[in-house]
Amino acid sequence: MPQAANPALAGPIVEEEVHFTLVELCRACHAEEEHVVAWVLEGVLEPVGDSPGDWRFRGESLRRARLACRLSQDLGINAPGIALVLDLLDEISLLRAR
Amino acid sequence: MKFKDYYEVLGVPRDATQDAVKHAYRKLARKFHPDVSKAPDAEARFKELGEAYAVLKDTEKRAAYDQVGSQWKAGQDFQPPPGWDAGFEFAGSGEGEGIDTSEFFEALFGRRGAAGRRHSPRAQGRDHHAKVSIDLEDAFRGARRSVSLRLPTLDGQGRVTMTERQLEVAIPKGIREGQHLRLAGQGDPGSGDGPPGDLYLEIAFRPHPRFRVEGRDVFTNLPLAPWEAALGTSVTAPTPDGPVALTIPPESAAGRRLRLKGRGIPGTPPGDLYVVLEVALPPAGTERAKEAYRAMAEAFDFNPRDPAKE
Repeated sequence: MPQAANPALAGPIVEEEVHFTLVELCRACHAEEEHVVAWVLEGVLEPVGDSPGDWRFRGESLRRARLACRLSQDLGINAPGIALVLDLLDEISLLRAR
Repeated sequence: MKFKDYYEVLGVPRDATQDAVKHAYRKLARKFHPDVSKAPDAEARFKELGEAYAVLKDTEKRAAYDQVGSQWKAGQDFQPPPGWDAGFEFAGSGEGEGIDTSEFFEALFGRRGAAGRRHSPRAQGRDHHAKVSIDLEDAFRGARRSVSLRLPTLDGQGRVTMTERQLEVAIPKGIREGQHLRLAGQGDPGSGDGPPGDLYLEIAFRPHPRFRVEGRDVFTNLPLAPWEAALGTSVTAPTPDGPVALTIPPESAAGRRLRLKGRGIPGTPPGDLYVVLEVALPPAGTERAKEAYRAMAEAFDFNPRDPAKE
């Protein structure tokens, strides 16, 4: 193993140690703010906080928001459709795990 | 370079209307979307679909493609005709964003895709995403892994080229499949004196010959001889953290799962390790072995298909 001449890069595990603001989440997923807001209103993402400016998203929102982003871009699915697809995908993975 | 028949990819005739092209794309995209499909080649198929659609949905590109395309068949060796590109100015610039195009596509349409990047005087660089495969053992002990990334960068003429970058990354103990590491400042450089973006690394486990992983829990199969399963024994069982001594209770049936609490992926709480017992039959290859099986048959009043005996 190469010794620490160049120290390895380290960073937090997003799902366990990171919370995102709306702006940070949008940047991390390359998503438009209005889309993320629409997904929150449909219950795809569940931040804590009363208004978009105060929202804090849990780390696992990153995976869900990226998935929502890809599905809406690639398949032209609107916000209620995204909510339905994500619910169904969750259910499928639950069923598979049994 | 092979010629790609984009009409064939979408399964539409050459004279299909724009609506028919869109319809065919949407239908196939739903079928092969890698987030939805379990088909092993879904990712490759979806990429191919995206590329075909990027060309055929754009009337300008479609016309250009038709002009070369009529002389070629899918899979033939292809060189763009001399003087190609001269008469076309592809104004639509959205492509290249989000789709990773083939060599064939780039030969025809170039790679001017970096469009959409707004060059404000001071802006934070974009965040980047990449996947990194590690061994299950790395999640048990923590590790330092070299990760190579292919990143699109803009050259002086505004063209996109792919550059390779090597990073040394500390893999923290206890990380699980599907989780992300955030490396601050390792994304795209900012413009002006804006800060760089971040890099997100999604963790995947390489398939392991011995262990399967579900969330925090790890599973392994342990074969036993019939007499070991029937009478009980002590064995050495493998775990990702090294071998452990394990007591097999008497009358252990195949499929029985022994749980080693806290021996799964470390964390708070740690996962569990499940040892799934299997019973392996010794071959009846020699006369002595056959004799032993016959003796068993005599010793047991046993019919595994008799429901009354269950």
